[in-house]
Amino acid sequence: MQTNSLLIKKRIITLFLLFIIGFLGLSGRIFWVQFIDGKKLSSMAENNRMRDVPVAAKRGIIYDRNGQELAISVSADSVYACPIEVRAGKKERETAHQLAEILDMDEEKLLKRITRASSYEWIKRQIKPAQAKKIRDLELPGIRLAEESHRQYPNGTLASHVLGISGVDNTGLEGIDNYYDKLVGGTAGRIVIEKDAANRPIPEATHRYIPPVEGANLVLTIDQTIQYITERELEKAYKERDAKSASAIVMDPNTGEILALACRPTYNPNQYENYPAAYRRNPAINDAYEPGSTMKIVTSSIAMAENVVDAQSRFFCPGYVKVGKETINCAQGKAHGSQSFAEIVENSCNVGFVAVGLALGVDKYYDHIYDFGFGKKTGIDLPGEAAGIIVPEGRCKQIDLATMAMGQANAVTTIQLAAAVSAVANGGKLIQPHLVKQVIDNKGKVVKEFKPVTVRRVLSENTARQLSLILEGEVIRGTGTNAAIEGYRVGGKTGTAQKIAPGGGYLPNSYVSSFVGFAPVDNPKLLCIFVVDSPKGYPYFGAWVAAPPFKEIVQDSLRYLQIPAANGIQPTEPVEEVQTVLVPDLINLTPSEASSALVQRGLKVRVEGSGMVVYQQTPQALTRVQTGTEVIVNLSPYAPKNKENQVTIPDLRGKSMKEVVRILSSLGLYLVPEGHGLASSQSPVPGKVVSTGSRIKVQFTPISQ
Amino acid sequence: MEIKRLKFIDKSFVGTLLIMLVFGLVVLASASYGISADRYFYVKKQIFTIFIGLVAIVFILQYDYNNLRRYSWWLYGLSIFMLLLVLIAGEEIRGTTGWINLGPLPAVQPAEFTKILLIMSFAHFLNERKGDLDTWSKMMPCFLYMGVPLALIMAQPDLGTALVYIAVTAVMMFVAGANPKILGLLFGGGLLLVALVLVLHFQMGLPLPMKDYQLNRLVVFLDPYNDGQGGRGAGWNIIQSLVAIGSGGIFGKGLFQGTQVQLNFLPEHHTDFIYAVIGEELGFLGAAFVIMLYGILIVRAIRISYQCKEFYGTLMVLGITAMWLFHIFESIGMSIGMMPITGIPLPFLSYGGSSMLTNLIAVGLILCVNLRGKKIVF
Repeated sequence: MQTNSLLIKKRIITLFLLFIIGFLGLSGRIFWVQFIDGKKLSSMAENNRMRDVPVAAKRGIIYDRNGQELAISVSADSVYACPIEVRAGKKERETAHQLAEILDMDEEKLLKRITRASSYEWIKRQIKPAQAKKIRDLELPGIRLAEESHRQYPNGTLASHVLGISGVDNTGLEGIDNYYDKLVGGTAGRIVIEKDAANRPIPEATHRYIPPVEGANLVLTIDQTIQYITERELEKAYKERDAKSASAIVMDPNTGEILALACRPTYNPNQYENYPAAYRRNPAINDAYEPGSTMKIVTSSIAMAENVVDAQSRFFCPGYVKVGKETINCAQGKAHGSQSFAEIVENSCNVGFVAVGLALGVDKYYDHIYDFGFGKKTGIDLPGEAAGIIVPEGRCKQIDLATMAMGQANAVTTIQLAAAVSAVANGGKLIQPHLVKQVIDNKGKVVKEFKPVTVRRVLSENTARQLSLILEGEVIRGTGTNAAIEGYRVGGKTGTAQKIAPGGGYLPNSYVSSFVGFAPVDNPKLLCIFVVDSPKGYPYFGAWVAAPPFKEIVQDSLRYLQIPAANGIQPTEPVEEVQTVLVPDLINLTPSEASSALVQRGLKVRVEGSGMVVYQQTPQALTRVQTGTEVIVNLSPYAPKNKENQVTIPDLRGKSMKEVVRILSSLGLYLVPEGHGLASSQSPVPGKVVSTGSRIKVQFTPISQ
Repeated sequence: MEIKRLKFIDKSFVGTLLIMLVFGLVVLASASYGISADRYFYVKKQIFTIFIGLVAIVFILQYDYNNLRRYSWWLYGLSIFMLLLVLIAGEEIRGTTGWINLGPLPAVQPAEFTKILLIMSFAHFLNERKGDLDTWSKMMPCFLYMGVPLALIMAQPDLGTALVYIAVTAVMMFVAGANPKILGLLFGGGLLLVALVLVLHFQMGLPLPMKDYQLNRLVVFLDPYNDGQGGRGAGWNIIQSLVAIGSGGIFGKGLFQGTQVQLNFLPEHHTDFIYAVIGEELGFLGAAFVIMLYGILIVRAIRISYQCKEFYGTLMVLGITAMWLFHIFESIGMSIGMMPITGIPLPFLSYGGSSMLTNLIAVGLILCVNLRGKKIVF
């Protein structure tokens, strides 16, 4: 019995120990669940009960350098379904039927979508206000509308390749809108609705609205008027010559600020889906080509920097030159005879440049070619920039060097060439071309300023000045006479490059005709490069295809910028066959008033958008243009009116009183202002639909607050 | 009852129990807040049960538990009768027939009460055979004795309670001196066999006389997302319970603030998953507090059994302790993904009249042993 009770006591103790181990195990597991897995499980608890409805942020406005709106955001309603509520409403079929009718969608597909097992389903994004109103009035169970903003480009095709496009999800897909998507796109907000396990919203529970953060606004270096002038000339050249593509860049050679960048073919970013995707390609940035004679500026720069030649060096041209086994001809086999270095530039003499290239040698050529920025991206703020292709130094034979000196063999981009020639124009500094001047927040405060970036010095000031004078001579006496502008000193170079055939070698009758130049030579304000790919007809030379539009662009732009003409040369007001007129101020006129005002002055009118009054015009008022010029007239960019004269109230916050007056008057609304400064709040709130003639109360607050 | 014996009462045991009951009511108030129109409906019912239970304890303390020995076979017979009755006349709730409707009185779960009755009668049965249980043939009557009620419970089927019976039988036999090798072989081997059968069923399609959803609940705790419905089937309860406890952190979200509980993501949160409520709303501190209270209760109960002068009392107390321990391990283990889902209540905390009453009667018996089993030296 004694052993028996001892045994029993032992066993009780054994049990006790097992129990201790068990409890420790239990506590350990609890510790693990609450501390090691705690974070993950907490977020799972959150996800369990939160149902999100995203609210897209409004994209920032893109302005030109003078504050003209190039891209804005407009609110539009999107329809979505909460399938659980749809099913609970027990009117699925009826709902699907009514929606299908309003939205012109397939009823069966719609029914499937609105009853799908998910917390929400988009039905259609960014519908028309009239459709939204109908849906709102029907009050269908589980069918909701969410305000989404979408991009609108008030000027249609103007600067489309710079601005790019934004997709339905409010993300920038191309151009500036894509490159600065993070900045301009803002942060999407959310409507968070707390739901219980049965997916019913909980009354009084978390019903948070996390407002979207609006995107920052960009001020571009683009000047809307210069852009307009450029597009006008580009369009003309592209159409008249039935070219494959064309592009032009106008920039300030001192700062690298792009004042205009245009491409053909073009597209309207508001309806980009109606154009072939290839039209959205930006040949000036995305494509490299063999530039031809315009590249002789770079060859000359290198040769002069290395003191291989000076303006007085002599060359003899018999019309051809043999390099190894190959023979290189001057254009049309013309023999230029004895020439100075300046003259070979003026004549664009191939034989002369082959001699310069060979005298320079492979080493010295390659020492400089990369310095000028070729073979690598310029860093311009647009997506998809090409780097171009430079023949690798190791594989460079004499014939390659000879052709490179003439501007063939190496592939460069238009923007690279523009930057390289800018270095000649601005006294020797390679600058980085850029498109954005400032980033400003919604209150108009400058958040970030983009200063000109000098990459490196590539030429001495003296060499640059000499070269500028040689290029001026080219325009005065050489192949570039068509680029001469009365009253201004212009320097530049023509280019007519042969195009590479897909299988190697050059195409017999396909050329890239171009002109690059700057003005005024003594203090360059503008640099313009004009490139036409595969112009049809004769003459196809850059001197005939690209130099004349260059002249038009630079001439109009210099006048627009009120750059004084050179000393001694009187800028004769051109009274010849071409007449110019001042563009009238059309803002706040009705479309018919605006068009009659334009027609009276011999101008054409193009109306963009819909509305009752003119909201914006391009070119701006008081710009001098040729008669027959088309003036773009933008009616209100905000929600197009429907038949009942209903308008959606725009977001006025952050705008000045002047802007507010303009916007509201364009919508036929009355302003009841309070305070002064920038608009801080408004009533009714943005997005509300009111009838025209309503009064909108806007509170203005001084900026300092 | 001799009043002077009351001074021997285990104050830690009683004190811990009272704290536990009050704590349980507070947690229940939060857990059952949104379930019924009367927010305190469940709390009121639970208070009523506790009151009945306390009256039962006072009643039990009037008697010497040793007198019960004489009625052991009656108690055993009553148990079998109740278990048979529930099979014949019981109401089926969620696939098991565990309830008997008593007309105007609340429905009861006989399987709860029979736990106590069987522990008492089995204690007597073993007491007669203590120290003489080292061979198969000598142990066989014990297995048969407990095997009959076990089979009846399996027939309901109520797997959770059946496991309690198995655990209690094992512990009581072990303490009574049964051959540990045979015990280990039988219970360990049984566990392995069940595992093997389950593996064969799920991997090879071995047919079993149980519904798949019941089997699923046994294995799903190993991987709750792999329940065939991506965590929305049998794994749902475990996932929600883990999320509840895991999101509680150190201090918890506060009573009435647990989102998993109050928004009904966590099923059965006032009964089987009450521990997850504690974990979510009172955090690690609350969860650890509960474990500590149980620890004290169990340690004191073992101490009472250890000090008892009659082996009958020792066995009875240890049987009850084993019953509680298994409930605690299973219920807490289930809510933290360590144990299969069998749905058994957490003693003193889960809502449930039969369970609460059974446990309070058990407390009465332990206190009875505590007061009368002591070797009193006058």
